[in-house]
Amino acid sequence: MKKGIIYVALLIGLLACNDEFTESPAIGALSDAALKNETGVNLLLTGAYSTLDGVRSGGYGNGWSVSGDNWIMDVVSDDAHKGSTDDDQADLKEVELMNWATGNGYFYGKWGVTFAGINRANAVIALIASIEEGDFSAQMAEARFLRGHFNFELQKIWGNVPYISDENYANTEFNQPNPGPIWDQIEADFDFAMNNLPSTQGEVGRPTSWAAKAFLGKAHLYQSEWSTAAALLNDVVDNGPYDLMSDYVDNFRSAGDNSEESIFSIQFTTDSGQSYNGNSGGALNFPNPGPFGSCCGFYQPTQDLLNAFQTDGSGLPLLDTFNQTDVASDAGIETAAAFTPHAGALDPRADYTVGRRGIDYNGYGEHIGKDWIRAGFGDISGPYLPKKNVYWNGDSANQATGGWGQQLSGVNYHIMRFADVLLMAAEAAVETGDLATALDNVNRIRNRAKSSNYMQADGGGDAANYEIEPYTAFADAAYARKAVRFERRVELGMEGHRVFDLRRWGNAVQVMNDYFANESRTITNFAGKVSPYTATHNLFPIPLGAIDLSGNVLTQNPGF
Amino acid sequence: MKNKLLKKLIVLPVFLLFGSVIYAQIVTGVVSDANGPLPGVNILVKGTNTGTQTDFDGNYSFDVGSSEAVLVFSYVGYKTQEISVAGQSNIDVSLEEDAAQLDEVVIMGYAAQTRGDITGSVSSVDMDEALKAPVVNAAEALQGRVTGVTVVNTGSPGSAPRISIRGVGSNGNTNPLYIIDGVQTDDVNALNNLNPADIDQMNVLKDGAAAIYGARASNGVVVITTKSGGYNMDKAKVSLDIYTGFSQIGEEPGVLNAQQHAEMIWQSYLNDGITPTHGQYGSGATPVVPTTIQGYRRVVSYDPIVFSAPGEFTASVNPGGTDWLDAITRNAATQNVSMSIQNGNEHGKYFMSVGFLNRDGIMNHTGFKKATTRLNSEFKIGEKLRIGQHMNLSYSNTKVGDGEAIENSFRITPLLPVKDDHGNYTGVAGTDLSNTRNPAAQLYRSRNNFNRRFAVLGDVYLTYDILDELTFKTTLAGEFGTYDGRFFTALDPEHGEPISSSTLAEVDQTYYNWVWSNTLNYNKSFGDHSINAVVGVEALKNNGRGKRVSRTGYLFETPDFYTLSNGSGAANVDWTFDGWDSLWSIFGTVNYSYQDKYYATVTLRRDESSRFLGENKSDTFPSFSGGWVLSEEDFYNDDSFINRIKLRGSWGELGNQNVPTGLRTSNVNSLSDATANYSFDGSSITSGALLSSIGNPNLQWETSVSKNFGIDLSMLDSKLNVSLEYYDISSDGLISPNAATNPSTGADANPPIENIGTISNKGIDFSIGYSDTTESGFYYSVNANISHYKNEVSNFNAPVFGRGDIRNGAVTYTENGEEISYFYGRNVIGLDNDGRFMYEDVNGDGSVNDEDRTKLGSPHPDFTYGINANFAYKGFDAQLFFTGSQGNDVYNYNKVFSDFGLFFQGNRSTRVLNAWTPSNTNTSVPALTTSYPLEEASANSYFVEDGSYLKLKNVQIGYTFSDSLAEKIGMDSLRLYVQATNLFTITNYSGFDPEVVSYDNLSLGIDSRLYPISKVFTLGANIKF
Repeated sequence: MKKGIIYVALLIGLLACNDEFTESPAIGALSDAALKNETGVNLLLTGAYSTLDGVRSGGYGNGWSVSGDNWIMDVVSDDAHKGSTDDDQADLKEVELMNWATGNGYFYGKWGVTFAGINRANAVIALIASIEEGDFSAQMAEARFLRGHFNFELQKIWGNVPYISDENYANTEFNQPNPGPIWDQIEADFDFAMNNLPSTQGEVGRPTSWAAKAFLGKAHLYQSEWSTAAALLNDVVDNGPYDLMSDYVDNFRSAGDNSEESIFSIQFTTDSGQSYNGNSGGALNFPNPGPFGSCCGFYQPTQDLLNAFQTDGSGLPLLDTFNQTDVASDAGIETAAAFTPHAGALDPRADYTVGRRGIDYNGYGEHIGKDWIRAGFGDISGPYLPKKNVYWNGDSANQATGGWGQQLSGVNYHIMRFADVLLMAAEAAVETGDLATALDNVNRIRNRAKSSNYMQADGGGDAANYEIEPYTAFADAAYARKAVRFERRVELGMEGHRVFDLRRWGNAVQVMNDYFANESRTITNFAGKVSPYTATHNLFPIPLGAIDLSGNVLTQNPGF
Repeated sequence: MKNKLLKKLIVLPVFLLFGSVIYAQIVTGVVSDANGPLPGVNILVKGTNTGTQTDFDGNYSFDVGSSEAVLVFSYVGYKTQEISVAGQSNIDVSLEEDAAQLDEVVIMGYAAQTRGDITGSVSSVDMDEALKAPVVNAAEALQGRVTGVTVVNTGSPGSAPRISIRGVGSNGNTNPLYIIDGVQTDDVNALNNLNPADIDQMNVLKDGAAAIYGARASNGVVVITTKSGGYNMDKAKVSLDIYTGFSQIGEEPGVLNAQQHAEMIWQSYLNDGITPTHGQYGSGATPVVPTTIQGYRRVVSYDPIVFSAPGEFTASVNPGGTDWLDAITRNAATQNVSMSIQNGNEHGKYFMSVGFLNRDGIMNHTGFKKATTRLNSEFKIGEKLRIGQHMNLSYSNTKVGDGEAIENSFRITPLLPVKDDHGNYTGVAGTDLSNTRNPAAQLYRSRNNFNRRFAVLGDVYLTYDILDELTFKTTLAGEFGTYDGRFFTALDPEHGEPISSSTLAEVDQTYYNWVWSNTLNYNKSFGDHSINAVVGVEALKNNGRGKRVSRTGYLFETPDFYTLSNGSGAANVDWTFDGWDSLWSIFGTVNYSYQDKYYATVTLRRDESSRFLGENKSDTFPSFSGGWVLSEEDFYNDDSFINRIKLRGSWGELGNQNVPTGLRTSNVNSLSDATANYSFDGSSITSGALLSSIGNPNLQWETSVSKNFGIDLSMLDSKLNVSLEYYDISSDGLISPNAATNPSTGADANPPIENIGTISNKGIDFSIGYSDTTESGFYYSVNANISHYKNEVSNFNAPVFGRGDIRNGAVTYTENGEEISYFYGRNVIGLDNDGRFMYEDVNGDGSVNDEDRTKLGSPHPDFTYGINANFAYKGFDAQLFFTGSQGNDVYNYNKVFSDFGLFFQGNRSTRVLNAWTPSNTNTSVPALTTSYPLEEASANSYFVEDGSYLKLKNVQIGYTFSDSLAEKIGMDSLRLYVQATNLFTITNYSGFDPEVVSYDNLSLGIDSRLYPISKVFTLGANIKF
């Protein structure tokens, strides 16, 4: 009996010291406590910047929809086709053709990455709030700028959106309703950033107080608060450190990275490893095969966009009639068959925006037509190639290749560049009756385009008949409005802004349906395949998966 | 808390200690059955641990201690006999076979019980029967042979089957806990390390009987013990089992041939009002299948990538097109050799085995190879001390091929030949060929990839008989393993999106775990009372670390060149992990029986786990069970038709501490090259961090309350045995990643693991078996089992959708008051005048939208069943084994590709031959279209099919040669057999196979099969020397 008890006691004693035995630390992980210092704040802040490029951890929906350069937004507009063959990324084809299903992964992907950005900014803000000592106002201002940017994206894409605050973040209360605009919160972030950021930054990738001011102005512009917008944007134009670069195309080459024209850009960067910091969301958007066997033939500009570059005898755009005639198209023409490029007058920016047959393609020689195009003649994508996002021949700093042959470009994407600010200021000026400022700003842009180096032909000389001149005057507000809006399209084409301009101008239904009809002149059956654009399409649907996951806390946008 | 428990544990041994009287008395004898001497019969002095085993000739001899002793002779499959020594020194015994096998010793982990004494729900696999089918992973042996256990195979050689016991009780990990000779693991892959032929017993603890494993037991416990030698054997016993055979593909869903494909494209254009024009099929009124691929080209040089000039390469179209599934599958060889030897003298015994298995996959360049060797031994040192060990060494290599290949074989156009006219693999770089990669090329290029595992698993133990009735045992068990993976991505010059740089990725992982158990076993009978008790303490630790590194730019594509140092790009660390967890436990169980009529068991276990914090780290799990052998009562008429009736009942609390991934009680932030770094100056990279998982400090284990009631009947002289069990298991506080806490509007971090919801499973397991031998010597037995469960979910905060990563969104839905994971979406009620789906307006609001989604079907069967029939006559034997499932639905997700043309130029199911056209309106298949009707390809009833099936899992015919003939060729016995697995499946399901491996328990029954099920035919021999 005694012996037994002793053995039982021994048995238990044998392994009794168990407190440490069951304390398992996280190896290689950073705890919240470990981050409560300057290093931690900077690590999370860098993490917040990192989502600008559209790459998050995990994610929802489609991985190509996330790109920070918003290329899919041009596909939704009259600037671009999705590109490649119809059955490659069929989900995006359905988006382009306005067959919008709430479950489409393209809506969900963009949604998911935008909230990743918002909440990584919230993480920084919440962390700073939890640290008692030290001055983190610079980091706080950057974090709020970033949150403002991501919320702006959310607002302009979906309209009726939830607002996730840093308190929500700290309390893990992410499931918030989406009653509608969050402009006040967006403005508050940019206002804080404007007042707390330095006017210059040692590192070019960080926003300045001037950048915050420009974004705040843009937020007011999007709400048609013209005078507030005008005041802010004019201040940036007049007193800010920005200017247009002398050569238009440098905005899209490494030479022009972070120039005086750049206000806030995604710092796409190549490196010798996986190039995680290249434009991976835009990796489909290279010619296939094109001049250097790249991938995958997506993001092809429209005939409609190319037509917009036509100018009249006085070097001015065909504001009302640009789409009554087509710039010569090689749709349906094999490379082996002869083709004569357009002889009519064109804005020189045309050939820095749209790659077309017979004209040099980013220094790789003349575009040879069909053999560089992946899409077939029966597909909806047409014969053109994107240029602004494709690195130039010899621009090695921007070139990198990923694991399956995709291109991970280092070409920076300008979320906002000075030309955009000039045109937004011009727009606000028109609406506030200041036609002189509007004319100045538009002409400043046109003069830069005029004085830029023009695309050259292989044998020397201009590659096409380029004609561009400034406006002599704006006859009235209506004409000025038309001219400013048109200038935005030709200056900023294929830069991800177009669809949002159409939406806020309120003319998307008309413009898009006209475009569908006109595009069919060169792309067989395009009009037959596309469904009509209706007012419902002015906002993306709230992704079905997001609504489901929220337990119906989120409500669907009207019409879906 | 701890003190109270200590008290409880000290109270236990009060039962334990009783004295004994010691005398010396040697008894010898021979044990035999009707056929002659029986080796390995256990002989015990009743009420003590003193005992021995008969040698090869059935002889025994040992000191029984007292002339008053009662000897208990027991042997698996025979009726136990008790004989009083009463002064005799020679006792010969003849044992009778026992069809009911009530005295079979069932090893249940820390203790063993005889079958007839068990009060919980414990099922045993008849390994002899199970191994008649060519089992690769021992867990396959559970399928259809154990009531209430669901086993689903993926078909991929070397992959582990998915197992759940008694319904779907958790939405996390449902793997049962496996105890392999004391090694504890919930990784079913560990069973791949075993040679199934080494297994002696495989017992499944399904209810409170599992409570001795406390916090890890709620999914059930599978206790596996391997074979051992016997003491005092006359000579070594050698067994050799060999089979060889082949696998071939089972049923194949049909796809279109080239002409049908062309017509499908044409019809799609015409339906959409588009004039057909096609890069391959021309632009005439009807399509023309070309004799050669139009625009065919391939990469001729890299950096920059240059494709061949038109006409430089050509690819001729096969007449009728290419059958791609045929092109990537084969009749695959399978071989198995397993040899074992066992022996023992009075001081020691051993069992040793070697095994080699090769199972080539039916998909080209896939397969599984395994080599194992085992040594089990035990030595007596003096009278009281025994030391033993089990050790299993295994090596395996799994070639999984390319995971996309099977899907691509359905997607790729039938027009393309496998190889071009120059002998190169073809690709889709021509016009209108879609962008599917050539699956034959993909498999070929994966041929030098490997997944190698090396594992050592086993234990060393020491037992010491402190008193005759009290034994101390200490066991140190463990597992050490390495995983070595190589994945080479080769260039694919035929593809339209060519890979521009080859990549080698190498994965290295090591893991080890150990468990140290110390137990005291007490065994005592006095008068009508019998007590069998165990107390113990145990410490367990799991460790794992690993990494994946990849590098691009290899000059050559020969495997000799595949080392990371031969790459030219920068090396990338893709992921790393390192961590451990631990468990500390004390436990005890007491089995008490009175007059072999009344039985009671009490079990307590307290676990402390590193996976939780503070108060939540530890908990105590009790269980109680009782049994009553009604037929032993005096009032029961022994002559009745039913010769034994036993009633059983149990109640137990069980835990589940399986957190899906590592440490999840606090937030984890991580540095990340891929997702957190940024360049602030446009060139150099700054390191950043992100919140990578949200912690939940309040996490605790899942607890299940399990109730079980059973009745066991033996009838007709134990020829007919029936067992019926009713169970009710309610699991509360399910450990689950809660996406609702971190929804799409949240951070890009893993959601917290929380305790959400309750799942209850109520069910019935029924088994019936009849066996008899006719006077003419014809033996036959039929065993059938049937299981039914009813699943219900409650206490979820909100409904939950299943896996969201499949195209077009989740298709399963879980809400309170319903069964877990039913199919949810729009209900198709017919086709409209354009051949497009019309959906039910469920809420009757006049419009059909996302709010009209509804229940479309259930992945839960009404019942599952297994039927096993055995026959033997004069050397011949035969076995038929069926499994089946009735009343479950399957979501045939593959239709997204095969019926809706996600890739328009790709291939389709032959179903679309019956697609709607203006002249074919009496059909359920929607009209062909050039668009990808995403809404129609999203969750709806078109995808939901009846998944009921009956499968002939195994059929075997064997012949055992007469002893005299066997002896002539130097053998003790020789049996030859032919066997076939999965010979046929009766089902209405249109996919590959209605047995669907589920991704997780919130996404049950979704068929997105990546590997076809195969039929296996073998020819084998069982030889004993």
